[in-house]
Formats: sequence, C-alpha cells, structure tokens
Amino acid sequence: MSPLLASSVDLEPVEQVRSLLVDRIEKGELRLPLLPQVAHQVMTLTNDPDSDVTRLASLIQQDQALAGQILSVANSPAYMPRSPIVSLQQAVAWLGMKHLADMALMVSIQSGVFRVQGFEAEVKALWRHALATGLFGKEIARLGRHNVENAFLCGLLHAVGKPVILHNVIEIQKLQDLHLPWNSIRDFMEEFHVSVGNLLTENWKLPDQVKEAITYYKDHTYKHAPSPTKVALITCLADHLASYLLEPTLMDEETLLALPVIQDMNLYSEDVSSLLEQGEPILKTLDSMPL
Amino acid sequence: MSETLHYDILIIGSGPAGQKAAIQGAKAGKRVAVIERDLEVGGACVHHGTIPSKTLRESALNMLRLKRTAGVFDFKLRDDLKVKSLTQRLDHVVKAHSRFIADQIHRNGVTRYHGRGRFLSDREVQVSMTNRTIQRLTADIIVVATGSRPRKPDNIPVDHEHILDSDSILSLTYLPKSLTVLGGGVIASEYASFFSLLGVQVTMIDQADRPVRFMDAELTDGFVQAFEADGGTYHGNQTIAEAKWDGLSKVVTVLGNGEVIEGEKMLMALGRVANIEDLHLEAAGVKPTPRGLIPVDQHCRTSVPHIYAVGDVIGPPSLASCSMEQGRRAVCHALGIDPGGSPETVPMGIYTVPEMSSVGISEEEAVTRFGGAIVGRSRFNEIARGQISGMTDGLLKMVADPCGKKLLGVHIVGEGATELVHIGQMGLLAQMEIDSFVENIFNFPTLGEAYRVAALDIVKQRKP
Repeated sequence: MSPLLASSVDLEPVEQVRSLLVDRIEKGELRLPLLPQVAHQVMTLTNDPDSDVTRLASLIQQDQALAGQILSVANSPAYMPRSPIVSLQQAVAWLGMKHLADMALMVSIQSGVFRVQGFEAEVKALWRHALATGLFGKEIARLGRHNVENAFLCGLLHAVGKPVILHNVIEIQKLQDLHLPWNSIRDFMEEFHVSVGNLLTENWKLPDQVKEAITYYKDHTYKHAPSPTKVALITCLADHLASYLLEPTLMDEETLLALPVIQDMNLYSEDVSSLLEQGEPILKTLDSMPL
Repeated sequence: MSETLHYDILIIGSGPAGQKAAIQGAKAGKRVAVIERDLEVGGACVHHGTIPSKTLRESALNMLRLKRTAGVFDFKLRDDLKVKSLTQRLDHVVKAHSRFIADQIHRNGVTRYHGRGRFLSDREVQVSMTNRTIQRLTADIIVVATGSRPRKPDNIPVDHEHILDSDSILSLTYLPKSLTVLGGGVIASEYASFFSLLGVQVTMIDQADRPVRFMDAELTDGFVQAFEADGGTYHGNQTIAEAKWDGLSKVVTVLGNGEVIEGEKMLMALGRVANIEDLHLEAAGVKPTPRGLIPVDQHCRTSVPHIYAVGDVIGPPSLASCSMEQGRRAVCHALGIDPGGSPETVPMGIYTVPEMSSVGISEEEAVTRFGGAIVGRSRFNEIARGQISGMTDGLLKMVADPCGKKLLGVHIVGEGATELVHIGQMGLLAQMEIDSFVENIFNFPTLGEAYRVAALDIVKQRKP
C-alpha cells in the first residue's frame, strides 16, 4: 500500500475519496476520456477553412453508430424534416454543415463521456442540462445581437468535467472498496468540474472560447473572463436558465430574475420573458433526442 | 416605486447627442439627469458604431502595414492572430472611451439612471430598470437622444450566425472566406473595405449605381477602384429578390436580374431605424413621421415646445459630429443661451479604405447656385509626401466660384482625408480666397501641399 493510501484509510470514506481525487487532479493522473475520434476529426474539419460538407458527411459515414444516431436526431421533431430523412446525404442537405457538425460532436461526446454504468439516470440529467445550456446559449447570444457561433458548444461543454469526475470517483471507490452516497459525489462534481474541465480543454484542444466558457462561467468568475466575447457571461446565464427549466423546484422566477448575471447582461424583464418562452421548444428538443 | 424626482433637464439616451446635451445643461448650472438603457454610457456610437468600426479599421490598416513590412524586418505574423487581436484592441478602446464619457458625465454633476425611459406625459418619464424597480422623473425640458439600431428587413432573416448586422459582425470570431455586403451606404462601404483589406473576398450589392451617393462621384470612384484593386466587387443598380442561408455552407443572394451571389457570411447594412418604440411618444404628444423619425424644427425642437430630439432619432445626417452639436444647440436654445454661429460647413468623413471626406458644396451645387464652377485637382501621386508614404491613390478637389476666386468646397479621397479636410473647412469659415492657398507656405513634404497644387490648378483655369 502506498504511503498516501495508508494515510487515507484513517479518513472518513468521503474524505478518503476526496483526497485521492485531489491527488489525481494535482498530479495530472486523472483518467481523462479521449475525445472521441470522430468528434476530434469533426472539430478539425470544421476549423479547416477548406473543408466542405461532403467531407464531413463522408467522415460521419465511417462511424455507422454515429451516422445512425444523427439520422435519428435529424428525424426528431426538433428539426422538423419535411419528409423522413433516410440517408446521411439527405441529413446533410437538411441540417447544413454547422448543425451537422454540432450534432456529430454532441452525439460522439455523449456516447464517449456522458455514459456511466450504474448512474444512467444521473448522467442523463447532466446531459440534458448540458444540452439545454447549449440551446439557451444560442438564444441569449441572438437576443444580445452577439454572434451565436460557438454559443452552443460553450454551453454544451461548460460542465463536461462532471461526468469525468464521476468516472474517476467510481474508479477510486472500486479500488478502495468504498461506496459514497450520490450527494457526496455530486458535491465533488460541483467542486472540481471547472478544474477538470480545464484539463479536458487542454487535452482535447478545444477552441479558446469553449475553454473560456468552462473556466469562467460561474457567477463569481464571469467578470474575470479575459476576452471581450461574453461567452462566459452568456454561458453563466444559459446554465441558470437550464437549471430553472429542468429543476424548477430549485429556483423560482423571482430568484432567477434577481441573479446578478441578468443585470450584467442588461436584460430587462421582457427580455427574460422572451428567453423563458424558449423553454418549451428546448424541452421538446431534449425530449426528442435519443438520450 | 420611489417618489417622483424633478430635474431641470432630462436627457433620454447617452450617445454623442445626449452626452453633449447633458454637459451643456450642467455647464449652464442646471440640474440634469440622463437615462441610459445600456449598462455603459456612450450609445451605439461607442459600443457598436463609430468607435468600434474606426478602431477595427485602424487595426486592420496596422496589420496590413505590419504584413507589408514583415519581409523587410524578417518576421511573420501568425495566421490565427487576426480576429482575436482585432477584437481585443477594439474592446480596450471601447472601454476606455466609455469610461471617459462616464467620468465626464459624473464630473459635471449629471445624475445617471440605468433603465428604459418611457413618457407618461409631456413632463413625466418613467424609468424601468433591469432589477424591475421603477423611478418616475419630471423635468422642465426633455431631450430625446435614443439613437438608432440596424434595420432588419422583413424578407432577410438576420440570424446573427450567417447573416449578421453591423452589431453582430463585431463579435465574429474568425474571418470568413467571403462576405456579401447588402447596402451601399456609409456602414456598408466601411465594413466592406475593412474586410477586403483583411483578405476576405467581399461583394457589395446595392440599388445605387455607386456607393455613398451623397459624396462626390470622383471620390466614390476612387474608393471603388481601391476596393476592387483589393479584390472586392461592387454590384450597383441591383435589387435583391432573395437572400438566405442555404442551410449548408453559404448565404445565397438572388439578384433581381436572376444572378446568384454566394458568400460564407452576409452583412446586412440596409440602413438604420430610430429607437422610438419604447418611448411611448404619444403620451408626450409627439407624433413621429411615417418613416419612424421624430420631426423637429431648426432648433431640434419637436411639436411640444419643451421637448427636443437630437441625433439619429431625427434622421440624416446621422453623423456623430453633427449629433453632438445638435445636442449642445438644443439645450442652448431651450435655456435661451446663444449657441454661436450656425455651423454651415459641417464636414463629412467616411472611414473607408481609402478615406473620403468633404466640406462645403459640390461642383454640381456650385453650378446650380453660381452658374458655374472652376475645379482644381491634385493627385497624391504628384505630392512628395504621397510618394514617401506610399499614399499615391488620393485625390483632392477644390471647388471655386466661376471666377476661380472664392473657395466653395473641398472633396478628398485618400488616406488622411478626414483630417486633411479641416484645412478646407477653416478656409471656408474664414472665407479665404483661392489665392491664399497659393501664396502661403505649407510644411514640406506634407499632404497639405495638395491644397496648393489644387489651388494652382484653379488659378491656371481662370479666364483672363
């Protein structure tokens, strides 16, 4: 037994796991999921000024599971196809390159990161929150007459550190033969997801704006975001709106409207109302996704 | 709701017009308040218009200069540096300018309210704040300076993702390969030239035969020539049948003649609309024009004698410089202060690449008013400073009366035009004769020498 483990056994289980988790993060020994290969290729392709939609379609075609999931999403009510979409080429024509790329990323990250055996319901909730944050992000950017590109990806990945922590905690529990209550695991996710998200952005070479959103999206940090793009501010509000939509018991409208981020985005009550009106279509989108 | 507060002067909007109105009121010893709906003061001029676009222009020019000299000094610019460094600089300048205005307002004892102003009557305005509190204000004099925003035509879906307006284009995170610009006005021409300079394939489409039609044709020809030399294209005399994102990878524009133009992104710059809908003007008894502007007299006074309107809400010329003066003059008039002589010689500055600038009257107007005109020209490639600085594309035109004696107007295209024009403006104000430009000594080598060359050209054409 290593000296570290020898000392951790004297601690309460929660503290033992915490100490080992911190140790992994600090020593760079955290088990990080690989960015699914297709997602990596999709990102490379969409950042390549010479790329085109045909190359993207042929890339997705190589991963039959991904292609199948994309067809399923493209046929969902969220995208309202005029007629059933039966081929990837048809999906390409209907969704367009940017949507298709977002979808490919979304589906491959979901299957590569947001899948944890034994915690299906919890991870599904995390995934729905991530997706809702991405969708709200786009609406907030549009309302503020900001460029909406990247707003979805920033929202989708803002808390990508959470499932990674879950994977690691489960692994540590197994190694130590411990079992923590979900509340403790959730606290770990809350406490460490920003720093773990940061490690992921380095590892996955995510765009700078996504990195900024992950690092600074919290209420007490968005003011420190270094770039003038407002991605952190937008993601912060999108995160709150997603929580309000998916867990309405946690926050009432009064509390939501009193959030400092609402003032800092300079949103008047009618602006917030128009954003909240997007809740229903966003819920429809989430419900129509094969989660 | 807190108790109603009273001010001598209430200004709605803190752009150039509102700001100068407020300062003038405060300098006159009045109790002044400004209502601003945005977080920061300065209006669209500081946050989405004049200041950001001109900063972007300067940064693009600096980048181009660096790129051109990279070979000489043996360095290479990173390819991915472009947009990030441009926006960082832009943010820095905008923040600095906004802070400066806020300090000025504070220093002059002007009270600032952050919220949306809405008339309850001709003397009372309700301010609704983002935290949903309400403050009612009354005033003896009210100045409306709420500015304008980009027009959004019903038939073109501006989604701020593929089809952008002049606000959302400022948050682009990368340079598109190609950009279609709808419009041929000041904003369209300025952005078209910046992006062209940055290596984007730009296509301008407008119904006019040439861009910025209110400027002298020789100037706009010079601009189009430079723009097309940089790889841009101007499609004049065109109508738009349809413009939309194709759902795949490009914005497709179908012209009235059936021609199809594709671009990775589109900038919609088909004019601006006045911000009046939140004001509830009917409660104040002010009726807007069918075009959505506030009608005013020569003192910027509306049909309600103690309510004034200044800046973009009253329509053209919609120049920051004019708006500032309107704000100052409106308050002077309201307080019975002599504002000084009327500014008959307002210069126009268009920050395209190259710049265009005019003051005084055009050749056509001179012919109409004086029965003729003598025009003197000076090309920058004939001026030593033009050659030294590599600014050989410019042209300076002086318009004189039919005798070639009196200066009537100055029109310039070329780098530095917006600064150079002020010599002509002072000449006009001082009613200088053409000979003064020949007889006096200019620094050598400077672009100012172009005035002397153009004046000599007029002298040469005088009839004996």
